[in-house]
Amino acid sequence: MIEVWHLIIGNPVLNVLIALSHILAGEFGLAIIALTIIVRLISWPLTKRQLNSSKALQDMQPKIQELQKKYGKNKQKLQQEMTKLYKEAGINPLGCLWPMLIQFPIWIALYQAIMRALATTPENLLGLAHRLYSWDMVNQAIPLISKFLWLDLGQPDPYWILAIIVGGTMWVQQKMTQAPAVDPGQQSTSRMMLLMMPLMFGFLTLMFPSGLALYWAVSNIIGIITQYFFTGGWGYLKFRSPFQSTQ
Amino acid sequence: MKQPKILFLVVIALLSLTLVSCISGSARLAKGWAGTAVHEGIIYVGTADGRVVTINSSTENLEWSYSIAPVTAPSSGLACGSTSASTAIYGTPVVDRDIVYIGIYSGQVLALNKLARSQNLTFPQQRYGEWEWDCPIDNAKSNAIVADLLVSEDALYVSSSNGRVYSLDKEFGDLNWESKILDEKHGNLWTSPVIQGDTLYVSTFDGHIYALSLETGELLDWFFESEAGFDSSPVIDGDTIFLGSFDRYLYAIKIGSDVPMWKFPEEKPAGNWFWASPIVNEGIVYAGCLDGKVYAIEAKTGGKLWEFDAGNPIVSSPVLMDNLLIVTNESGTVYIFDLSAELEDEAVPLKAISIGADVRSSFCAQEGLVYIRGEDNWIYVVDIDRGGVSWKVPLTIEE
Repeated sequence: MIEVWHLIIGNPVLNVLIALSHILAGEFGLAIIALTIIVRLISWPLTKRQLNSSKALQDMQPKIQELQKKYGKNKQKLQQEMTKLYKEAGINPLGCLWPMLIQFPIWIALYQAIMRALATTPENLLGLAHRLYSWDMVNQAIPLISKFLWLDLGQPDPYWILAIIVGGTMWVQQKMTQAPAVDPGQQSTSRMMLLMMPLMFGFLTLMFPSGLALYWAVSNIIGIITQYFFTGGWGYLKFRSPFQSTQ
Repeated sequence: MKQPKILFLVVIALLSLTLVSCISGSARLAKGWAGTAVHEGIIYVGTADGRVVTINSSTENLEWSYSIAPVTAPSSGLACGSTSASTAIYGTPVVDRDIVYIGIYSGQVLALNKLARSQNLTFPQQRYGEWEWDCPIDNAKSNAIVADLLVSEDALYVSSSNGRVYSLDKEFGDLNWESKILDEKHGNLWTSPVIQGDTLYVSTFDGHIYALSLETGELLDWFFESEAGFDSSPVIDGDTIFLGSFDRYLYAIKIGSDVPMWKFPEEKPAGNWFWASPIVNEGIVYAGCLDGKVYAIEAKTGGKLWEFDAGNPIVSSPVLMDNLLIVTNESGTVYIFDLSAELEDEAVPLKAISIGADVRSSFCAQEGLVYIRGEDNWIYVVDIDRGGVSWKVPLTIEE
């Protein structure tokens, strides 16, 4: 099972990352950024679907407000009508989370690739020999340089800068894409998730190698830019929930 | 209900990421692969639990053992925490008269006196010429010592992960000179230096061979630059340096030249890196490769004389004993080649002996016996004539 994982995901990610490092003047940090862009390009169909969904939700806000006014006192009915409305429009209000979930295998592979590629111990370096393809550019890039800007990509950022960037960009991206919940019960969960995820990732950034955190930060920034241009604005970042206005 | 469900999935996924990081974090611990040295019937070796051990090869008994203080391994990944671990030893002990020198992964060089250690006196006993030298940490770069130490008539030479080469006084451990070879950005120095005349040659992971004055450590004018990094320590025969590279070629470089004399294989690269240093004997280079093959190459031309597929990666350097070439593969099979016989393109070993344990460390051979430390932390003594393991002894202390 582990060998299958390495064959299908682990080794390709590792080798592509090292090859990119060779192309980008031996800068492993730039290789991680390039890989992030590639992953985002590959997952574009999924992202596009999610963005469409998000845009449609924004366009639907007047109708939602109308329903709000109409069924404001009957929460159950309001919930039913909202669900019906989403269904008719073919929207999943939580669709924004799926691209993130699908990226988990990439994160794990990337984490392993960073630790393997940087080969901090002789055992790691020897082990790396058995995972490399015979491409010239891969073998010529070994061993990699772990320094990038102020970071040692194999270690967590000691200055917390990356943690703040990861947490901050994740909050902005989520805020832009996450439609306001209709049900007050869901609203609290939604609010909790909006805060919990950036906090959790900010915390993880303090624990994991900064190479992985760099991937998260760049991925979030790309997500924000894409969202901005695709939907033509800051989305729900500026939008106030109808509940907030009525409560 | 969907939001809590997704939240649950996110938490599960993050936990699995954490678990993976923790498992691979522990795999990142340096364990060491110390090699064996034999001197006057005594086997010297570093163990996996951070000790230097001597075994009498006649009685097969432990002579003395010195425990190196454990180190605190840094945490990696969530919830892993820091752990106390044995000091890893990668180098082979070097015996010079009564002193055993060894470099260790926690950045020290130890000079142990055989007599003081056999009496279990407190280390260091300066009246016996014992000392400990701490390699400095340079710009937050590790001071770990991975390469074998080099001992000359007058001094001891140390390559450190911090990118510097040090010359130490053999008697007192005082610093004679230090020379910065690699800056903080360009990796570790895990290869051993080699002496030719009054010059010290060092190969680096960033693809250079530097020449240093043996007396002052000053970098001399000549250096060699390659596109790929050098993974093995250099070996010198006459005025030619032989060493392996990460680009899967073995290089022969004439000192003073800036183009390689030849690189092997001629056409396409080998199946993997030439990790172990080659050896040269009577105009023939013998090199083990991580692709599992042993190659015999003409030193002048780089032409292949013969090869043998050992089936498993060759991590340890080959060893010569009289007319016998001894090679071990990673899975612990010892191959003996008779060099006096005419070996064809596809060589056939005289003997193949399995010790039943993985082998990554360097080994030595004397008087028909091969001394190998297995990755299971046992010493195996292989009798070539008998074609099997003559005796073996565990290096682990029983609880």
